[in-house]
Amino acid sequence: MKNKRFAIVLDTERCIDCKACTVACKAENDVPLGPNNYRNWVVASKLRGKYPNLGQSYTPSQCQHCSNAPCEHVCPTRATFTSSDGIVDVKEEKCIGCKYCQTACPYNARYYNEETGAIDKCTFCAQRIYAVPPRLPACVDTCPTKVRAFGDLNDPNSEVSLLLARNPSKVLKPAMGTNPHLFYLD
Amino acid sequence: MSAFKNRPKLFVWMAILLLGMAAGAAGVIHVLIVGHAQSYNVTREIPWGLLIATYVFLVVSSTGLCLISSLGHVFGMKQFEFIGKRAILLAILTLLCGFGAIGMEINHPIRMGIYTILSPNFSSAIWWMGTLYGVYLMFLCAEFYFLMKGMHKGAFTMGVLGFTAAVSAHSNLGAVFGLLEARPFWHGSFLPIYFIVSALVSGCALIGMIVYFNHKKSGAPMPLKYADFMDTLGRLQILTLMTLVFFVVWKIIPGIYGHPPEKYEATMSMISGPFAFNFWFFEVLMGLVIPLCILFPKKTRTPTGVMFAGLSSTIGIFFMRYDLVIIGQLVSMREGTAELVNGLLQYTPSLSELGITIGAICTCLFLYTVAERLLPLDPEEH
Amino acid sequence: MANPKKQKMSRRKFLGISSCALTTAVVGSQVKVLKALAKSGDISEPVAAITKDVYTSCGMCVNKCGVIARVRDGVIHKLDPNPNFFPKSRGMLCARGNAGTKVVYDPDRLKYPLIRVGERGEGKWRRASWEEALDMVTNNMNQIAEKYNRASMMFASTEGTFSEHFFLQLAECYGTPNTLRHPTLCLSSNIQGFSATFGTNPTPDVKNADYIIMSGANRAEALMTPDSIDMIKTDGGGRRKLVYLDPRFTKTAAKADEWYPIKPGTDMAFILALINVIITEGLYDDDFIEENTVGFEQLAQHIKQYSPGWAATECDIPAKDIRRIAHEFANAAPSAVYYQGRRSSFFQNDTQMRRAMAILNAIVGAWDTKGGLLPNKKIALTKHDYLAPWYDDVPDRLDKGGVTYLSEKDGSWPVFRDRALAADPYPIKGMMVYKQNVLVSVPDRAKSLELMKQMDFICTIDITMSDTAWYSDVVLPEATYLERLDPPENLSGPVPVVAFRQPCVEAMFESKTNFWIMQQLAKRLGPEIAETFDFTMEEHIHHMLKKKPEIYDALFGKGVYYEDTEPEYGRLKGKRLRTRSGKIELYSEKYAKKGLDPLPVYKSPDKVPTNMYRLLVGRHAYFTHGTTANNALLHDLMPENTLWLAPSEARKLRLKNGQMVKVKSKVGEEKLKLEITEKIRPDSVYMAHGFGVLSKGLSNIAGVGGSDAALIESKYCPISGNCAMHETFVQITPA
Ligand code: SF4
Ligand code: SF4
Ligand code: SF4
Ligand code: SF4
Repeated sequence: MKNKRFAIVLDTERCIDCKACTVACKAENDVPLGPNNYRNWVVASKLRGKYPNLGQSYTPSQCQHCSNAPCEHVCPTRATFTSSDGIVDVKEEKCIGCKYCQTACPYNARYYNEETGAIDKCTFCAQRIYAVPPRLPACVDTCPTKVRAFGDLNDPNSEVSLLLARNPSKVLKPAMGTNPHLFYLD
Repeated sequence: MSAFKNRPKLFVWMAILLLGMAAGAAGVIHVLIVGHAQSYNVTREIPWGLLIATYVFLVVSSTGLCLISSLGHVFGMKQFEFIGKRAILLAILTLLCGFGAIGMEINHPIRMGIYTILSPNFSSAIWWMGTLYGVYLMFLCAEFYFLMKGMHKGAFTMGVLGFTAAVSAHSNLGAVFGLLEARPFWHGSFLPIYFIVSALVSGCALIGMIVYFNHKKSGAPMPLKYADFMDTLGRLQILTLMTLVFFVVWKIIPGIYGHPPEKYEATMSMISGPFAFNFWFFEVLMGLVIPLCILFPKKTRTPTGVMFAGLSSTIGIFFMRYDLVIIGQLVSMREGTAELVNGLLQYTPSLSELGITIGAICTCLFLYTVAERLLPLDPEEH
Repeated sequence: MANPKKQKMSRRKFLGISSCALTTAVVGSQVKVLKALAKSGDISEPVAAITKDVYTSCGMCVNKCGVIARVRDGVIHKLDPNPNFFPKSRGMLCARGNAGTKVVYDPDRLKYPLIRVGERGEGKWRRASWEEALDMVTNNMNQIAEKYNRASMMFASTEGTFSEHFFLQLAECYGTPNTLRHPTLCLSSNIQGFSATFGTNPTPDVKNADYIIMSGANRAEALMTPDSIDMIKTDGGGRRKLVYLDPRFTKTAAKADEWYPIKPGTDMAFILALINVIITEGLYDDDFIEENTVGFEQLAQHIKQYSPGWAATECDIPAKDIRRIAHEFANAAPSAVYYQGRRSSFFQNDTQMRRAMAILNAIVGAWDTKGGLLPNKKIALTKHDYLAPWYDDVPDRLDKGGVTYLSEKDGSWPVFRDRALAADPYPIKGMMVYKQNVLVSVPDRAKSLELMKQMDFICTIDITMSDTAWYSDVVLPEATYLERLDPPENLSGPVPVVAFRQPCVEAMFESKTNFWIMQQLAKRLGPEIAETFDFTMEEHIHHMLKKKPEIYDALFGKGVYYEDTEPEYGRLKGKRLRTRSGKIELYSEKYAKKGLDPLPVYKSPDKVPTNMYRLLVGRHAYFTHGTTANNALLHDLMPENTLWLAPSEARKLRLKNGQMVKVKSKVGEEKLKLEITEKIRPDSVYMAHGFGVLSKGLSNIAGVGGSDAALIESKYCPISGNCAMHETFVQITPA
């Protein structure tokens, strides 16, 4: 766990908005049913242009595992915390359900999970990446076109490090200063 | 029952309050049975709803009462001294009912009690706000105790401490919103300051009503001393209201000028969007214009006038709280979330939320009415 | 969130089907569902059991992707893609595949045999023992054989179950020729058109093609492995160009390099114009044509009439674009394909349209070569042989002679149904259904209901209360694909694989495998029939793998068996094709003999009448046909269907976004929500499939949305018998 900094790099050009990632995540992480309960999502952009010259893009996303995470700063009981590997997580038993983190997260990455009685969000599928043998996060693994790549930024040879080295990339809402760890290839 | 015998008005008043409390109880029971998600209309996108607004309204009232009453026993303005007990009592009750409202809004109040102490986060504005309001409550109680016992020294000390706590707790409440970079409509140093100013308005309004109804119930005409006080209060209220007008104007202009992203959409929802009625009718007309129109002319600045002005602005202020809380969340964090109407998210309070809000306010008034009857709140005559 | 109340309501649901009332809160975790079921007495409390990984294959659609089921404490917790399944599924699992857990742990599942007690379709049932239900089925089968004829029983079934052949075996042993399979609701015209040209129905080499033209196949949403993936991923070959024709702006359109909202029904005009340019401008592959084809002269002659200018007016695609695309296509050839769809045909001329596609591919030499059309390969498995009893008074199939080329096993749904309704030449009185959802899949639902009404007896085997089950007399609960040991299945393709299924958990409730049900019915139909089913599934599997026992280990060891990972190119070079001439038939002698057009002749589709719209159907990636809309996880993605209408038309009709509208065709009328969108041609409307169900046993979607099957008229291709899904016009009015 030490000396790791996990991140996801996305190539949205490949996304077909099939929502396999969303369903896989809900199944893997026992996210309660309901259209508003989810840890990841796909944004379909507004339709561009006028018929018959149209365009649309699809941007999958989830918690950005910000290294300057507003959700963590605002949590009154430190239920939200960042692990040494960069994963921002929630200690269920400490969450008081004030939803301050929900208003603080600029990405709408959090929801209140009524079954666990705590705020819930993407955990980079810690239960999978630390399993023996390790498995990729569910959304990364299941994607037909492999939009997401997952790995350790502290390892210069990991797929994510290589992708970021070789290609220009962006993060969402950089002006928020959250320092996200979901990178979008240009 | 005999207490009501000769007081049909009191009977009606108490009946109304009990009804309101029953609505609150129904709301609470509904929440306890079916859970938060089923009973509240808050969503993933708009996690804070009417109950947060009610909380803010009630604690602003509390702060306002504390600040205005401290003019008397802290700052030595003789005219204000006689309202001390009542103001502090109501400050305690509004604060407690505010806690009740937020206690219903958050999912785990018990965990809160445990982990705010075991695992405090000093960078959290909510932590500071909660803690400071807790301290503030203690000071208020002590102050009330000393006042009741006639221990002026103690009351003064507690008054000073209470005043300090009120200002810091309340500006921290502003900071709860103001520190959220993600919400441009709230973000910045504006809200902490604005909250203090609006608390003063609340305080004046409520004290005007307390004094008026207190004398109304005795049936006797208001002594000149109190009528004079009402006039002073009315003029003070003009000052606070005018300051508030100034704040409202300067909240709006930067929200529109140059169309700052997200802030603009939120501000426009207030000026011409779904919140326009709330804003223009309740906030501006009832909250500011009507009170000012009553208070400015000497002719209408009578005790009754001051009371009406207070009532009107209190209603206006409730909507200011509600609008502030909701509008700050109306702009979606990302494209494609939920269904947007004219580019904005939507929120309408559920029956449970309405019930609990009504219940909290009625409980507060009910307890005050009872206390008024049981406790010797009139000032000792010097 | 326009209506937060409504969305929240759906999280809790209450359902009662007479005797099998079930009340449960629908929650995220399987364990909780099980607990709820245990509470209501439907199953015994789950005991902490095995935690294991199980290889199997997905059964949510026809792709049969490789799955690893993660079983935790006896409960299927998660389905993960099997990376070993690479040649076909490329190690993915789509939304539906991931939602498979909710098929097993579905409060709406059929739990035990049900026998109807009220009127058909009234939804009154009683719980029955398997004994009683099975006896009832065979008694009725025997009665029908006595009263009418064995051919008066029809057997309808669908693909993808790995167990369909047992059902067909029972039909044959019982003695009816009338089996109705899915191809005439799907790809029969495609097979027909391509086979008439190449002697086989080939597969496009999407991964390696430099240039793809796609029409009638929305591959980014109608997921087909590995095409959907290869179309998007660019690490296969060099970057290709994707030209996409569709009256709707689909997700494939969003991914395509060029999208043309072609006028529905004019694809053939576009293709013929491409051929015209390629031939008149000499862009074709001379050597290839010389060596491998027959009939080029006739084609060159025939194609003269179809100029780009002419096609432009037909299909609303500018002539200069058609010309340019023809050039680009021919330049990229042979690494270029005109991608044939695979699914329902849209128009009555579908077979000839597919012929045009095949011919276009052939003249640029995109055949049996990298980036072109590839003949499929198969890994040979040993078939189960049985001796069906002989009955001498059994007539031909009811739909025999109804179309030019009728598949003996598949039949043609629209033709069959018309004849059955007329009892021409004999009556159909009994219906056995295995997982086909006739009322949702076959166009003109009213007619299908008529058909069911005239039955003496209907039995449906399924896992949920489909509309068809809802109108049956006996409903038998099948074990789901995650609870069955299924025989190996050969998935043919350029890189063929063998897939299989093994149970991840024990079958829940009283559900049974189709194989068991067939055995039981066979036993009751007499020793002669029982004997043809006298083996265990394990024996059957070993028998099938007799010639290659190593497949067995591969299947159980890594979930899949295959021999190559890359297609073999030039496999049929110099070999005789399975056409009359042994070559690629640009001109079809066979068709000429049958009195059909030997070369595709274009006919304009019917004009859309004024004040009407053409109703389009189409897939999206969240549902499989009419079978998964009720799945709790998928329902979250799409809780209802809408009618797409262009803004200009909505303005004309004074309709508002989101309002309810009435959609009326010649055969039916449905109500659903309007969605105003630029994504569709102004002369057409579209609605997704799978809603507007009649069954109240599908609690998430009962009473929601509209059914396309209720609106579509039953027109069909006279050559293949395939349904024509786009020949229905509708009127839209406010509801
Ligand atoms: S699974 Fe992949 S392709 Fe599908 S929506 Fe998610 S990111 Fe996009
Ligand atoms: S994306 Fe939101 S929830 Fe995730 S770390 Fe950043 S602020 Fe927190
Ligand atoms: S990493 Fe895991 S928890 Fe996070 S979105 Fe993907 S599947 Fe969900
Ligand atoms: S495409 Fe999806 S539903 Fe079809 S077999 Fe593959 S995973 Fe299952």
